[in-house]
Amino acid sequence: MNRTMMALRGLYGVWLREITRATRDRAQLIGGISRPLIWLLILGVGLNPYFRGEVYGEVRFVIPFTYLQFLFPAVIVLNIMYTSIQFAVSVIWDREFGFLREVLVSPMPRWLILFGKVLGGATVATLHGALVLILARFADVTLSLEQVALALALMFTLAFGLTSFGVILAARVRSFEGFGVFSNTVILPLYFTSSSIFPLDPALTRAQQAVTYPEWLVFLVQINPITYAVDALRGVLINFNQFTPGWGIGIIVAMAVGFFLIAIIDFARQ
Amino acid sequence: MRRVRNRWMQPAINLAIVVALLTALSYLPPDTSLADRQKTGVLKLCVPPSYPPLVTGDPNEPGFDIELAAKVAADLGLRLSVNTLSSIGKDFNPRNWALTRAQCDIIAGGVADTVQTRSFLQTIPTPIETGWVGVGKSPELPEAGATVAVLAGSSGLDRLQVSGWLRRNGWRTMPARSALQFTGVLDSGAASFGVTERSGLAALVLPAGVEVFALPAAEFPQYRMAFGLWKGDQTLKRAVEAAIGKLERSGELARLADRYGTKGYQRFSQELVP
Repeated sequence: MNRTMMALRGLYGVWLREITRATRDRAQLIGGISRPLIWLLILGVGLNPYFRGEVYGEVRFVIPFTYLQFLFPAVIVLNIMYTSIQFAVSVIWDREFGFLREVLVSPMPRWLILFGKVLGGATVATLHGALVLILARFADVTLSLEQVALALALMFTLAFGLTSFGVILAARVRSFEGFGVFSNTVILPLYFTSSSIFPLDPALTRAQQAVTYPEWLVFLVQINPITYAVDALRGVLINFNQFTPGWGIGIIVAMAVGFFLIAIIDFARQ
Repeated sequence: MRRVRNRWMQPAINLAIVVALLTALSYLPPDTSLADRQKTGVLKLCVPPSYPPLVTGDPNEPGFDIELAAKVAADLGLRLSVNTLSSIGKDFNPRNWALTRAQCDIIAGGVADTVQTRSFLQTIPTPIETGWVGVGKSPELPEAGATVAVLAGSSGLDRLQVSGWLRRNGWRTMPARSALQFTGVLDSGAASFGVTERSGLAALVLPAGVEVFALPAAEFPQYRMAFGLWKGDQTLKRAVEAAIGKLERSGELARLADRYGTKGYQRFSQELVP
């Protein structure tokens, strides 16, 4: 067997381990469905009356979609964020229980081991994001096969970047408990400041937006890379962009490449 | 082989349970809009007094939109109540029409399925098309500096798009306050050309020799006319959409469109020549 085949088999083994572990873990799957249920079925429906029109020409939420449709792509991103970043737990686990040491002494290059782990994490996160697509009917989002394919490609690239980000976090956090607190302080602020639950009207200038929202919030939304990921997914799923459409795709790809390169450096030090 | 099957059995069962659960939940009603209408037994339709051929004011041939809404109401097992409101279309800002959820379930008779409309309402497109059209004696666009009359309707087309186009071509804009003034300035030659909404053409009596032309398609796409429903009334929207779908499949929608001559109503000669 030549070296390439051996490396590919190793890569497949690392990937498969992550997939098997994630799909056998019922708690992870329950997490994967509880978030969309809470955000779409409870929060989306609960807040819907506050965003609907009562007088023609008078709505607070001036976007050509319902609140549920607006929220739908953001919930997909939320599911991906949680699953990807929580993937770092698997890295900490492997480190704590010695599995990582065993893998690292194998002839596989370290970056390839990391690539297999990140691919596995990204596949699971994409699956969790894809579970939300099942609720498209509930949110009144009509999807074509082409839209689904494009959304899955974007979701996978985003998941790859965020899983790499999780590995970067794992290199800096030594315990499970520490990571649990740390990940929530990263995920929730990133999600809430990504224009996921409120829109920045694309027709407004920055000064005009500052009339609706304080300038510091507009600033946080605009510098948050997740804002552009949510926007890219909105562009694909409901054909609505708040920012230049290419930015979202560019930032998702940049996150995937950038975070993976940093993760390689961190992983090599372990 | 057996070991491989066992390895994937548990994950497959877990996934199947999750997918089945989410699929079942996706059928939950997200609101009470349809249930509320079914409780009262009435579907309220708000229309302007006249917007031919969508609303004619003739009790025997009340208009395409009214007849379509009646068929939809019948399909839903509801009684249609038509509220004719003179405030509709009086002002370009729909807020001044003062239409409330209490008065109307559906707004029709001059609602275009555009981004502007969808910012305030959910829309269900009907087969009739609209868009900006040119009206004049010649298919050639006038020279820069010429006067162009504009009769803007209230269906929800983008007015900024027209004003930008007029400005870029160096024409002077003459806003017309009424259909009569619009046709008058075209007839007298005070305006060498006119721009108006295609859906409002049926209400115009064009002077002899004046024809309707398409504006450049790249800049001025055509839109569908629509029924407007309140945002958030998802279940009612789904039911109305399903009823219209049934009418379309049975051919009844096409027969209704033919009876109101909507094909002729959509006619225009050719695209304007720059």
